[in-house]
Amino acid sequence: MAFDAQTAANLGAGIAMGFATIGPGIGIGYLTGHACEAVARQPEASGDIRTVFIIGMALTEALALYAFVIAIILLFVV
Amino acid sequence: MLLAEEGGNKIVEALHELNVQTVVSIPKVGPFDFSITNAVIYLWVSAAVVFLIFFIAAKRSKREPDKLQTLAEIMLNFATGHLTGQIGEKGRKYYYLILTIFCYIFITNIIGLIPKPEVLKPYTPTANINVTFSMALVVFLITQFQGFKRHGARGYGRAFMTPPGVPKALGRPLNIIFVPVHIMGEVFKPLSLSVRLFANTIAGHLIILVMLGLLLQYANIIILPTALFVIIMTAFEIFIAFIQAYIFSLLSVVYIETAIYAGH
Repeated sequence: MAFDAQTAANLGAGIAMGFATIGPGIGIGYLTGHACEAVARQPEASGDIRTVFIIGMALTEALALYAFVIAIILLFVV
Repeated sequence: MLLAEEGGNKIVEALHELNVQTVVSIPKVGPFDFSITNAVIYLWVSAAVVFLIFFIAAKRSKREPDKLQTLAEIMLNFATGHLTGQIGEKGRKYYYLILTIFCYIFITNIIGLIPKPEVLKPYTPTANINVTFSMALVVFLITQFQGFKRHGARGYGRAFMTPPGVPKALGRPLNIIFVPVHIMGEVFKPLSLSVRLFANTIAGHLIILVMLGLLLQYANIIILPTALFVIIMTAFEIFIAFIQAYIFSLLSVVYIETAIYAGH
């Protein structure tokens, strides 16, 4: 099997997706841990904390999804 | 590579749900294609569902609310209280825009998640970048309109420059950096808004469809864990559908709010 452009694109898509999950993984773990801590310290503020947590989670998760879009472009368009 | 050649056909077949198919074909007008596709039909269906929920609830509203009215009231309270609490009195007329965006995205996502037979040409409109980008574009235009209307061109332009308090001799040259960065920030807002919703939806559907394809392809080996995984992922996708609708409307609120109170 020759190492042509299609193979390179497939390889690139896999590598992009793999590396892109590292950062958001750390981020979401950090976020969830601190949200737990905050709720444990102040249970009456859990409503506000949940809102902030969900926004933060969506913003963090979006980073991995940008890479996912790039991976799809590499797979199907290039 | 070998796997796909020998018999990955069912997996590829399962992915056909992500294709746009033409239902009624209308000849092109210049570069624009006005043919009615399954995406357009599902957009109409979800718009009709949202309209009917609120129309019927408003028509039949009485002192003791029934189930439908309770649902509509919960959604309205959610939009006016929880979602737009930050905009305040100045953004009161955008309550209904935000409510519509929230309900529309949520209903579109949920209708896309319901399994449908091949005859109905299943499709999820929010898994199409054109749909999400046009929704984000509306929010972008409203944001800029509010900024210009509230502060005028001069006042709104000042929000793009160096913040007040910086000495004039330093502020002028720093504008070379500040203005392009602020303009780029404004342009990337609708882009990130649309890509977030699009990528979330399409990623969830891809995972479910690929797993279903695997299930059909290798049914004799790994039926139980895969089936379980599909069920769990579908439940998770319902949660994601809500979260994404919530995020989209909340970020729209935040963007419109920043334009209304720009420079404060």
